[in-house]
Amino acid sequence: MKKKILAVLLSVAMVFGMAACGNNTAGNQNSGENVALEGEDAVYRVLYSSEIGTMNYLTSGTSADQAVAANTVDTLIDYDSNGTMVPGLAESWSYDEATMTWTFNLRADQKWLDHTGAVVADVTAQDFVDAMKYVLDPANASDTEWLLEGVILNATDYYASLSDDDASNDMAFEEVGVKAVDALTLQYTLEKEVPYFLSMLGYVCFMPAYGPLLEQTGSEFATSEDKMYYCGAYYMANWEPQVEHRYVKNPNNWDADKVYITEIVKTYNAEASTVGPEMAKRGEIDNTTLGADIVDSWMKDPSTSNMVSMEREDTSYSYFYCFNFNVYKLGDDWQRTGTGEYAIDEKYEPWNWEIAVNNENFRQSIMSAVNRVNTVYVNTGDYADPADIIMNTITPTNNIVRDGADAYTTLDAFKDIKAADFYNTDEAIAYRDKAIAELTKAGATFPIKMLVRYNPSTTNWEQECLVLEQQVESVLGTDYVDIIVEAGPSENFLSTVRRSSDYMFMKCNWAGDYADPETWVEPFYQRDNGDGTFHRGGRYAYLAYAIVDDTASADTVKEYFTLVEEAKAITGSDQEKERFEAFAKAESYLIDHALAIPYGVSTKAYIVNKLNVYESQYSPSGVANFRYKGMKLYSNFISMDEYNANKK
Amino acid sequence: MLQYLAKRFGRSIISLFIIISVVFILLRQMPIEGYFPNYEKMTDLQIQNGLEALGLNDPIPVQLGRFWVDLLHGDLGESITYRQKVPVTEIIAEKIPYSVKLGSMAIVVSLLAGIPMGAMMARYKGKWFDKFGTLFIVFIQAVPAAVYYLFIQLYGTIILDIPLMFDPSNPKSWILPVISMSLGNIAYYGMWLRRYMVDETNKDYVKLATAKGLSGNKVFFKHVFRNAFVPLIQYLPTSFLNTVIGSIYIESLYSVPGMGGLLVQVIKKSDNTMVQGIVLLYATVGVIGLLLGDILMTVIDPRISLSKKEEGR
Amino acid sequence: MANSIKNHLAGKLEDALTEDLKKKASSNYEGLSDEELFTFAEYNSEEAERTGYSNYSYWKATLQVFLKNKVAVFLLIVMGAIVLFTFIQPYLPNQLDPNLINNNPMTFMQYRNVQPGELPQFILGTNSIGQDLWARIWAGTRTSLFIGLAVAIVEAVLGITMGVLWGYVRKLDFFFTEVYNILDNIPQTLVLILISYMVTPSIQSMIFAMCLTSWIQMARFIRNQIIIIRDRDYNLASRCLGTSTFKIIMKNLLPYLVSIIMLRMALSIPAAIGNEVFITYIGLGLPSDTVSLGRLINDGRELMMSPDLRYQLIFPTIVLSIVTISFYIIGNAFSDAADPKNHK
Repeated sequence: MKKKILAVLLSVAMVFGMAACGNNTAGNQNSGENVALEGEDAVYRVLYSSEIGTMNYLTSGTSADQAVAANTVDTLIDYDSNGTMVPGLAESWSYDEATMTWTFNLRADQKWLDHTGAVVADVTAQDFVDAMKYVLDPANASDTEWLLEGVILNATDYYASLSDDDASNDMAFEEVGVKAVDALTLQYTLEKEVPYFLSMLGYVCFMPAYGPLLEQTGSEFATSEDKMYYCGAYYMANWEPQVEHRYVKNPNNWDADKVYITEIVKTYNAEASTVGPEMAKRGEIDNTTLGADIVDSWMKDPSTSNMVSMEREDTSYSYFYCFNFNVYKLGDDWQRTGTGEYAIDEKYEPWNWEIAVNNENFRQSIMSAVNRVNTVYVNTGDYADPADIIMNTITPTNNIVRDGADAYTTLDAFKDIKAADFYNTDEAIAYRDKAIAELTKAGATFPIKMLVRYNPSTTNWEQECLVLEQQVESVLGTDYVDIIVEAGPSENFLSTVRRSSDYMFMKCNWAGDYADPETWVEPFYQRDNGDGTFHRGGRYAYLAYAIVDDTASADTVKEYFTLVEEAKAITGSDQEKERFEAFAKAESYLIDHALAIPYGVSTKAYIVNKLNVYESQYSPSGVANFRYKGMKLYSNFISMDEYNANKK
Repeated sequence: MLQYLAKRFGRSIISLFIIISVVFILLRQMPIEGYFPNYEKMTDLQIQNGLEALGLNDPIPVQLGRFWVDLLHGDLGESITYRQKVPVTEIIAEKIPYSVKLGSMAIVVSLLAGIPMGAMMARYKGKWFDKFGTLFIVFIQAVPAAVYYLFIQLYGTIILDIPLMFDPSNPKSWILPVISMSLGNIAYYGMWLRRYMVDETNKDYVKLATAKGLSGNKVFFKHVFRNAFVPLIQYLPTSFLNTVIGSIYIESLYSVPGMGGLLVQVIKKSDNTMVQGIVLLYATVGVIGLLLGDILMTVIDPRISLSKKEEGR
Repeated sequence: MANSIKNHLAGKLEDALTEDLKKKASSNYEGLSDEELFTFAEYNSEEAERTGYSNYSYWKATLQVFLKNKVAVFLLIVMGAIVLFTFIQPYLPNQLDPNLINNNPMTFMQYRNVQPGELPQFILGTNSIGQDLWARIWAGTRTSLFIGLAVAIVEAVLGITMGVLWGYVRKLDFFFTEVYNILDNIPQTLVLILISYMVTPSIQSMIFAMCLTSWIQMARFIRNQIIIIRDRDYNLASRCLGTSTFKIIMKNLLPYLVSIIMLRMALSIPAAIGNEVFITYIGLGLPSDTVSLGRLINDGRELMMSPDLRYQLIFPTIVLSIVTISFYIIGNAFSDAADPKNHK
């Protein structure tokens, strides 16, 4: 009998025992001077936890898939480590405004390699033409084809003509605005003035591919390492799914002098976040991400504290809170089918929300009550400054770079917004009192129920929502607003929640596609169809329904749309400044009227890493950020001091 | 019996047909977002072309018919998102050997350890061996598997002086995954065998046999054990066949490129063809397992009959 | 080992009873005259009938045997105390709301990952957003035990009914075998994901999702047991005597299975707690204001590599271990007690 109690105690003790040991397994990997490794020593080992679906960069829309192409196929333009555009496969280029034609002069003697490193053919202008033909073939169902539409002459029409079953109306590919003048001269003709065209060239759908191989492999192009040719800094020597990716340096590359890491070995491990830190401690890998909670113990332990550094700032994503302006059910085409049925469960009183969200004082009261510092803290913990993450504009700082400096969010239109602290309890209460008076008149009942959704598979999102709920309710009072936090489905979350309008208030994100402010209005702006309806737009906040329903915010939204349209109309190649200023005016209007609340950029993760992240190419759009070119592998893990020094 | 088996076999085929059809239809109820990682930015025409390329624009009965015709030709189709354009059979054939090897080893180990353990615990009920076994069973039950798996990996690799990751060519690196996988089953077999044997020892025939003068051990291992093992034997074929499913947690911890968690993964990636292929495989295995289990049960215990016509009720 | 103790106790009890009987017997005839001692007792028909009557009651005997297992009784009391405490705890003084995010009054930031005992108000520390772990563990235990119990009951009722029919009624064997094949092979993940599009998270949705497929395993388990014993001689005899199927099932088959059913049910409660995590991850689980042990352990599992924060894993694991061990031992003891052969 006593033995059984003993059994219980013992098992409990063992749990404790397991807990007690743990950090005894490895010593400090950092010893001696931190020098850059060369030649055979420069093999970079890292874990990856989700397998790529294909290497076919002409069709895949997944960034993990595109990361392979980034390192194995070069683009016409390239970026340096400051984000300045530099020549890539194209040595030089020119633009003819009259015919809207770009001409690129390619580098000579660039080779296609197969997966064994053997030279197969030269890289020519025709490879760019063949690749685009592949992208524009509907049978290949490319995910990134949309980027060419409205940019390359006749791309939209060509794609559409091939999409129907009728073969007789098919357009000839020669009519599409891409042409190989000779082996090393490539021409793109545009459909309209596109001020940001050069920045689009860093994207996968503008990459070259060897024509005869495309012909031969068809839809199986790049489904294994031997079905793809490489012309980038590396070639893929081995792709064994869920085992290993092995990249080997391409000695023939024009920029091979700047490729310091000679081999990259990525090993698959689905639990990389769990075993990664331990493997880094034992020196089995050169890079791992540390969860915010583990950082504390790594920093406190003197044997590991000098191994921790951070990722480079990621300015490609922007996070913001959206107010949902549509409460009615949407059809399959994301257009409203009528106002009979609500998209949001009736227990959350969507009719009440419809009144509230269209009241500017209500939106302002929420905006002033949200303290973003608290929610950011959930992700970062004590070792990061919330100010590095929080942002008062939708367009991230340093996203649109000209001559190595931010050319957009530094404009005068943003001056007040950037200086302001949105969080202000006094103002929040003042707005609340005004809103109560107006909303009562409009027939709303209190508290206003505000449904906040999150995806249960996203780390810490739920916790953030809970912090938000308590924080906002404590400022405004639960008799004014009742925040309800509810999980959405973990699969196809955006389709069932955001695009279906099944939320009231939610943190959303958007990544820019090219280096121009126009890409940042896409979540909000909806084109007028001219028949009283609007294009569905980015399917975020459905602002246009404020106009369609003629609500209290109709004029505000109308004004915002007009400002965007005015800005879009400025396209001259010498009018960039005016264009940026006009977009800045629209964006600041959006924020001033609390149509959306800016939140911040992606959280920088803590890493244990032997690379200097500031040596990497830097580009807010395209795939250059994934490139290893330019980075050196060091003998020791980078410490926080070294990281900060590198940053400068 | 043969007639029973033939009948049951025929019905199993029908079951398989129903299973895969139901799964096929369920899969087509998933939102189309899942097929397109870049759904957010794609145009309507692009999405239409994408669906067309996947054959999802036809009415479901047409799609289902096409699927069955292809299947009869031995064609399960190509993966959609998991490994684009690669035949499903090829992907599965690459992965099964790892899981089956690991799993079979683990089952053999668990049977070799669990059955003697259970039998000895029952034989020496209340003695130190029983107590020790109970302690082990209680421990395995009480500590979440995910916790002790990880600790076995962390400290086991240090003791054996091998890297954390699995390497099929190094025999040493099979040890830890097999041990981790066996522990739960050892406890399971031990616990249930002990239970059944203790129940069995109370039966009259045991008392009679003992009274008749048979030695304690003979009664115990020849009669009690055989009777007590009957309920366990039904699960044996299923456990062996189920090794093709793999162990999600062990395989991901050690980076074994097996089947573990593959089904969940491809469901989440909306890879319909992969899901169909895997479900077909698992269902076949499950159906055969149940059937073999029933047959084994009648073999080991002739009193059990599955098909006594005159007794039909 | 439970049995040895029991046998020992039983032996003791027997000794005591004979002793008692002897005493009674001697006191009966002491002080009686020879005449009285040697006269015939009167025939009493009532007394005569009593010898043909036994006051043996199956459940009473089971309970008696069970109560003799002191470890099991002790753990039963522990479980009772835990259950009781989960209800009392919120009303004790100085208890925090399990969902309240506690902010540091100085910095207005959350009390993030406060170590146990670091601050007096947080006995077991806080989690990453400053929620009190002590309060969460008790709230979680309450939810998880409720869910586990609900699932075990549904599983038992559905599983036993279906399993008995499947195993005993031959005509239904084919039908149920195929139903089993179909239900068991349609991936649970797929069904759960599809349901998650229609249902919002709640305790009911969680219980529903768990019961969806678990009963079929219970049914297979029972079916196998029934097949083994359905053609034993005593059942054949009953059938020949014309006993109804229902009666055979209730009187012949089920009592025989009570011990293993009990053990299996006991184990299904901790299993349900483990299952929670996956269902929550799909988005079908518990609403965010409902804490459960499964969720606490899963949150903690992610911190396993960080020795400083393992307390967030250890405390819920201890509670889960106590619950699991208790159910296992109580279940085993009850199984022993439920076997009529052990009724003395």
